Amino acid sequence: MPESIPAALIIDTLKDTFREARAALAAEGWGAPRQEHLGWIVSVPDTHQRTVLAALDKERAIRVLTCATEDEAVAIAAGLYIGGEPVVLMIQHAGLYASVNTLRGVAKDGRVPMFYMIGLLNREKDKDPRESRHSMVRYCEPLLDLFGVPHARLEGPNDVHWIPEYYRLSRARRGPAAVLVGLETS
Amino acid sequence: MAMKPEDVLRVIAAARGEAVCVPTMTTAPAWRTIAPNDLSVVCVGFMGGASSLGLGIALARPERRVIVLDGDGSLLMQLGSLATVAGAAPRNFVHLVFKNGVYHTSGSQEVPGGMDVDYVMMANGAGYRDAYAIGDLDEFRRRFPAILTDEGPLLVELHTTLAAETPMTAPGGVPFHQQVEDLSEKLRRP
Repeated sequence: MPESIPAALIIDTLKDTFREARAALAAEGWGAPRQEHLGWIVSVPDTHQRTVLAALDKERAIRVLTCATEDEAVAIAAGLYIGGEPVVLMIQHAGLYASVNTLRGVAKDGRVPMFYMIGLLNREKDKDPRESRHSMVRYCEPLLDLFGVPHARLEGPNDVHWIPEYYRLSRARRGPAAVLVGLETS
Repeated sequence: MAMKPEDVLRVIAAARGEAVCVPTMTTAPAWRTIAPNDLSVVCVGFMGGASSLGLGIALARPERRVIVLDGDGSLLMQLGSLATVAGAAPRNFVHLVFKNGVYHTSGSQEVPGGMDVDYVMMANGAGYRDAYAIGDLDEFRRRFPAILTDEGPLLVELHTTLAAETPMTAPGGVPFHQQVEDLSEKLRRP
């Protein structure tokens, strides 16, 4: 059965992911960061990950940029990538559906590394997401499959290792990669 | 009196220095000719995304000016980006909106509201630091040095005629993915 993941664990994992990303950027020739933060969360607030977003409000090492739409979030993340900044997208499954053209145009055709954390709001604890009675839950993985986006499920605290692994994967593949947050974070 | 977009672009190209430019739609073909192989990335394939793409670059590289060469139809497609830009408040961000009242690329159908839509008022309402309109090339030429140095986010609504070319009549250019890599490389090793 899936378990809720504590916000603090996700944030610590994100910090480690950003530290590793900063080191990789330095090795690529970006030099020392000119800004104090480790990286960026670009978000359209996701009810499912609200405890993470609430905790990030108090977090100085990670900058959070709230966007009006997921289309914006993807394009902003692309700009941050161009400028040598580590970035994670934090959205909801409905936002993925809303921004499919930008996923295609920027992350796929544009070959821009794009790491998504996608909340599966309304996912039933006792059901595989693909068998959910909610279409917004049920269609998420098939849509990612359709676009060739590798994805992994965060089904409990032991799965947070997928965050750095799929972040790295997005960079290695120069395209999108996603982790799906199965239950509401705690 | 409306300005020719190509004339506006020439003024920008001549004076922009090390500013990064983000053209889109009907500014793209002319910009490709006027400012080839420079610090630019064209928003192509995700209409409406120019201001957001430029915002990301501006936040990543606060030491550089970023100039978005947007269109009115494109901006309408992601109008919420005005609030997102204003919320992020990048001081190095300039948003030039080439306003011609139509979707030129698809056959010049009028945009919702046509020329009556007031982007200056919208930008001010969203919280841009400053916003104003210019319809005369001499005035644009005179004010452009300040546009390059005034604290942003700044929006300038430019009243323009139709461009000579559109992405449909003058297709081509460097693919977006290559532009991304090229610009990133230039920013990495200035």
